Amino acid sequence: MSTDAIAMPSTAIAPRPIVATLHEWVTTVDHKRLGILYIIYALAFLLIAGVEAMIIRIQLIRPHNNFVSPQEFNRLFTMHGTTMIFFVIMPFMFGFANYLIPLMIGARDMAFPRLNAFSFWMTAFGGLLLYFSVVGANGLYGAGNAPDVGWFAYAPLTSQTFSVGHSTDFWILALLISGFGSIGTAINIIATVLCMRCPGMTLATMPLFAWLNLIMADLVILAVSPLTAAQIMLLIDRYLGGHFFDTQAGGSAVIWMHFFWVFGHPEVYILVLPAFAFASEIIPVFSRKPIFGYSVMVGATIAIGFISMSVWAHHMFTVGMSSAANNFFVISTMAIAVPTGIKIFNWLATMWGGKIEFKTPMLFCIAFLFQFLIAGLTGIMQGAAPFDWHLGNSYFVVAHFHYVIVGGILFCLFGAFYYWFPKMSGKMYSETLGKLHFWIFIIGFHLTFDFMHIPGLLGMPRRIYTYEPGRGWDTWNFIVTIGVFFQAAGILVFLGNLIWSYFRGKAAGSDPWDAWTLEWSTNSPPPAYNFASIPVVKSRRPLWDLKHPNDPDWNYE
Amino acid sequence: MASETLDLSPETERAKQGTIELPAPTAWPIILAFGLTLVFAGLVTSASVSILGAFFTIAGCVGWFRDVLPQEEHESVPIAGRVPTAETRHPQVAHVEWKTEELQRARLPLEIYPISAGVKGGLAGSVAMAILAVLYGILSGHGVWYPINLLSAGFFPARATTEQLAAIHWDAFIIASIVHVMCSSLVGLLYGVTLPMFPRGPVLFGGLIAPVLWSGLIHIMLEALDPVLKQRIDWGWFVVSQIGFGIVAGVVVSRQVRIRTWQYLPFAVRAGIEAPGTMREKSGRNGEP
Repeated sequence: MSTDAIAMPSTAIAPRPIVATLHEWVTTVDHKRLGILYIIYALAFLLIAGVEAMIIRIQLIRPHNNFVSPQEFNRLFTMHGTTMIFFVIMPFMFGFANYLIPLMIGARDMAFPRLNAFSFWMTAFGGLLLYFSVVGANGLYGAGNAPDVGWFAYAPLTSQTFSVGHSTDFWILALLISGFGSIGTAINIIATVLCMRCPGMTLATMPLFAWLNLIMADLVILAVSPLTAAQIMLLIDRYLGGHFFDTQAGGSAVIWMHFFWVFGHPEVYILVLPAFAFASEIIPVFSRKPIFGYSVMVGATIAIGFISMSVWAHHMFTVGMSSAANNFFVISTMAIAVPTGIKIFNWLATMWGGKIEFKTPMLFCIAFLFQFLIAGLTGIMQGAAPFDWHLGNSYFVVAHFHYVIVGGILFCLFGAFYYWFPKMSGKMYSETLGKLHFWIFIIGFHLTFDFMHIPGLLGMPRRIYTYEPGRGWDTWNFIVTIGVFFQAAGILVFLGNLIWSYFRGKAAGSDPWDAWTLEWSTNSPPPAYNFASIPVVKSRRPLWDLKHPNDPDWNYE
Repeated sequence: MASETLDLSPETERAKQGTIELPAPTAWPIILAFGLTLVFAGLVTSASVSILGAFFTIAGCVGWFRDVLPQEEHESVPIAGRVPTAETRHPQVAHVEWKTEELQRARLPLEIYPISAGVKGGLAGSVAMAILAVLYGILSGHGVWYPINLLSAGFFPARATTEQLAAIHWDAFIIASIVHVMCSSLVGLLYGVTLPMFPRGPVLFGGLIAPVLWSGLIHIMLEALDPVLKQRIDWGWFVVSQIGFGIVAGVVVSRQVRIRTWQYLPFAVRAGIEAPGTMREKSGRNGEP
């Protein structure tokens, strides 16, 4: 697509006062601006959670270390986990979904623009309230402290007896508030995808990005609601004399586990389905081939959505469930590998025989394919109950889910950043810095998370504050911590690239990747109304049809 | 998207007038969100914070309602700039050959067994397997209930001793029967599907190769899933009973009447169109009929 086709209005526009600009952003209901707000907000929390991770790893770099106190250590891993899941990855995904879905389906905005703004601000205030606990958790009457009950906050650790003060309350309320925001966004995504597609775009011709986010939004509604209910029950336990999770008064601590993981495992798919969506858009464009097996990809996504609601108790094998329950959750966990495996085969088949361009987004997606496969395999290992009895609560588990979250999801996110940055900013990023980021980060990732499996196999428990020397864990922990510094350097290169490219980057034009979905048919960055005229499409790759009028896709679909 | 190549919707007509209606910016969502946050934050700070939050919440709700009732607030945004035109750096299209050459498609059998053949074979095999399993129970001295209890042992981990496994348990019998019939039917279906792929040695594949592979797979899986149960199984007899199942199922399936597939018929014929000349006529090795 030609870059000279973008013509700005001829009249010069005076720079707006900063207050007016801020007012525009605070009052905006534009899906693109809200998407960018989500992304910037998540980037800020990524830095905070990253610093927390570094402190955790510095504490564990050698035996008997006292870099932070045990109390601080507990707060750090709680805040790191909570922040990464609820205030980094989810907002990132919501941000990209917000920005891209209306553009991809040829709509002017989300179905409920004001609800969209409300949802973002609820999420934002939820995160701020969580970190306000650092100063205000004792009710402003003394020194505050952050929550320290772990990101899944098992009972009875959360009872008044073991968690005095208000730190746990801040954790509950922050997730409750951000949960309302998540549900609002999910409703919006579902309504937008189902009701606002442009003429000609059926469910069978909709971009896979929209399909995957539709299933993700369904999962949000199904999974976040039980968590919200459980948070309210926990508040009732703590302040109104309830006994839902009080085992000494007829309650059940295991019920909390069920409530949490009935949210917690679908949550993994809430995070990973949008990552799949990024890969499903990026891999075909840089392989110069249409996605292989579109219908099967959609079917596999729906299957993942269903099966993901039936695997939650594989997090609870070590609790001591009945054999029938163990058998069921082993089988369902194995079953979910099937549609996920289908997706991996389809991405590989898309690349097979293609003219692959190894641009930065593609590099991140290729790394994602390998790493997510390994993450899936270690997941299958732990899905076998007897294996999990050995490794439950060990660093092997920590390595596994970081392989999923970082090796799978974060790599795809970086790919998405580089792929859509030209559309969002109108500028091209630096390919050199992008590749530097990729190589530094992938070295750091593998140093950290490959070697993290080994102390887990050797019996190192998760959340351990420090350890005795001579257990065979020392060298591995040292290597793992060194890897974190590589990752931090990679993130700094990434941020530097974004900032430098935004101010100094070359003009990107409307379609720098010669891509095929509708967002590339409008200017970069897109105008407030997205499209001067609502497009009418006839196939899954409407821009391909325009670029190849003699060989359009609708001949084959 | 280039408007000259796409149809225009009714809204596009309004766009031609130079402006587009979009939802107007509003501060009420952030005010409502801030109010609700303060209401909750007051629970752990001070009641005055909740009261202030309630004020913001009410103000946010009222303002929001006034924004959308009786009519939603909109702003007119002028259309600025030109619409980019679609151009590509890759004008040449290379078609993957196997998509256009039917001859290079996956080899599919011309004749297959109906689904019922697989089910019949699986059920017949299940009877043969049950007889061999019971025979094992008698010859090993544990009795006929031993293999039945072993099959359902995963559901009753408390019954771990040999005496318990040799005793009569009707609940174990029911579960074992369900597991046996289900698995046999599914494996029978698999036989029905796969045997036509091995036209030269269906009995060798169904009766020997598949049971041995299957036994090996179960042997490996049980090591991880239930090592105690694995120790209880007599693997020699296990393989024999699997082979018994395979031979009986294979024979029963292979004796069923095959049905022709439509894979090599022209699309027009498969679609029921009786119009000569609508499809390219085929001839030669793969061009039948």
